[in-house]
Amino acid sequence: MKKLILFFFTFFLLGAGLSFGQNLYRTSVGEVSFFSKTPALDIEAINKKAGAILNADSRDLAIQMKITDFQFPNKLMQEHFNENYLESERFPTGKFVGKIKEAIDFSKPDTYSVTAAGNLTIHGVTKPVTVKGSIIATATELLVSFDFTVRTEDFKIKVPTLVFNKIAEVIEVSGKLNLVK
Amino acid sequence: MMSTFFNQRFLPAGFLFLLFFFGNSPWKDVLAQEDLLSLLDEEQSKEPTYTIATFKASRLINGQTIETISKNHLNFWISHRFGAVNSGFIANFFGLDEAKIRLGLEYGLTDRWLVGAGRSSLEKTYDLYSKYKVLRQSNKVPITVTAMAGWGINTMPTGYIMESGSTMKFSNNIERYSYWSQVLVARKFTEKLSLQVMPTLIHVNKVEDPSIPNQLVSLGAGGRYKISQRITLSAEYYYSLRELEDDEDDDYGGSGGFSYPYRNALSLGVDIETGGHVFQFHLTNARGMIEKQFIGQNVGTWEKGDIFYGFNIARTFSLDKAARNTHK
Repeated sequence: MKKLILFFFTFFLLGAGLSFGQNLYRTSVGEVSFFSKTPALDIEAINKKAGAILNADSRDLAIQMKITDFQFPNKLMQEHFNENYLESERFPTGKFVGKIKEAIDFSKPDTYSVTAAGNLTIHGVTKPVTVKGSIIATATELLVSFDFTVRTEDFKIKVPTLVFNKIAEVIEVSGKLNLVK
Repeated sequence: MMSTFFNQRFLPAGFLFLLFFFGNSPWKDVLAQEDLLSLLDEEQSKEPTYTIATFKASRLINGQTIETISKNHLNFWISHRFGAVNSGFIANFFGLDEAKIRLGLEYGLTDRWLVGAGRSSLEKTYDLYSKYKVLRQSNKVPITVTAMAGWGINTMPTGYIMESGSTMKFSNNIERYSYWSQVLVARKFTEKLSLQVMPTLIHVNKVEDPSIPNQLVSLGAGGRYKISQRITLSAEYYYSLRELEDDEDDDYGGSGGFSYPYRNALSLGVDIETGGHVFQFHLTNARGMIEKQFIGQNVGTWEKGDIFYGFNIARTFSLDKAARNTHK
C-alpha cells in the first residue's frame, strides 16, 4: 500500500511537472491586429487583450484571444464583424497552438528569426499553418512579432455578394506579444 | 489486485511506461500545448463577455429597444407611417397617398448613454429623449436593463381636431408638454431569439376630456427572431392599464357619452440590415412614432382594418476621428 501511495505521489509530481516549474513567458495584453484592403474600403481592427504563453524549454507556444475584443473604429462594423462574419457567440475565441521549429536558447539576448508551426483556429475551423516571425530576447522579456495572411474562405467566413467589394478575400494579420517571464 | 500490480517488481516497469508515455512521446507536445492553452483559458474566463446585438437597432418597431449606440456615433432615423389600409383605393390608394413622418437623430455620448431628438408630422410634435444602459447581459448577468425618459411638445395651433375626433385647446405652452419613461428589460436567449419587456409611464399635461386620465401605465412586450444573418422578424405589443368602467366592447361610458377612444398598439415587422443601414418594414395599428402617441393616443384597431404600413430607416455614422481616417 505504501508503494501505491508512493507511486501516485511520484506520478502526481511528474504530471504537475508538465505545467509548473517551467520556463514560461507570458502576457495577457498582447496586440493582434488585422487589415482588410479593397479599393472600396480599408478595414482595420486591433485586439489588445490577446493572451500568449511560450514555454522557452520546449518552445511550445499558445496564443488565444476573444474575438469580441477586436476594436474597430466604427462600432457598427464591429458589431457586424462579431454577429455576421465571425459569429463570436458561437465561436468566442481565436487561437494558435504550436511550436517554434528552430532550437533556440532564449536565455541568450539576441534577435532571432523564427518559424512556428501549429494549428490556427478561427470561426470554429482549425487549419495547420506555418507562421514566420521574429523574437527579440532580453534578460527578462521576449518580444514576439509576426505577420501572416488568412483567406476568409478557408475559415468558412461568408461574405455576402452585397458587400463583396468591401471585404478582402485575403486578410493580413499581424501581432506583437511582449512576453514576460 | 492493485497492490500486486504495483509490487516491487512491477513498479519500476509501470513507472517507466508512464514516463515514456507522458514524458517522451509525441503526446507530450500536444499535452504541453493544451496545458498552455488551459492556463490562458483560466486567465481569460475571469473577464465577462458581454452579449452583443440583442436587437438590430435602437428601435424595435415603434418603441425603443435596450440598445444604445456607441460613443461618438450618430444615428439618423427616417420613419414613415402611411395611411390606413382601409382608407380606400380611389380616395387614398389604400393609404399610400399620404404619410406621417418622423425625422430623428440619436447620438452616443458614451457606449451606454444615448441622447435623441425628433420631429413628428403627427400633431407636429418635437421630442427629446435619453437612454442609459444600466445593466449589460454577459456570461455572468442574464439580462440587459436600459432606462429611458422622454419629453415632447405638441406645436399644433390651439383648437385643432385630434385623431380621436376631439378638439384640443391649449391655453399655455406647459399644457403642450408630455413626458414618458420606460424601463426596458431584455434577454438574448439564443443567437436568434431576443425578448424584451418594457413597463412604461406616460404623463400628458393636457388631455381632451376629463374622463381620460393624464397618467397612463402600460406594459409592453416584444421580441425578435432572426430568420437569416440579415433578416429579422419582430413584434411589439403595448397593453395599457386603463381603468375602463364599462368594458363592453371596449366602449367607455365617460362623461357626456364620450367614448374612450384609445387602443392598445400591436405591431409586426421585418428588419433588413445592409451594412450601415437598417430597414424596418412593418404593419401596425398605431400611427404615432413617439411613446405618447403610439401608446397613449392610438385610435386604430386591427379588427377594423386600421392598419398602417410603415418603415423606419436607420443610418449610422461614425464621428470618431480614428474612424474617419480609415474609412475615407
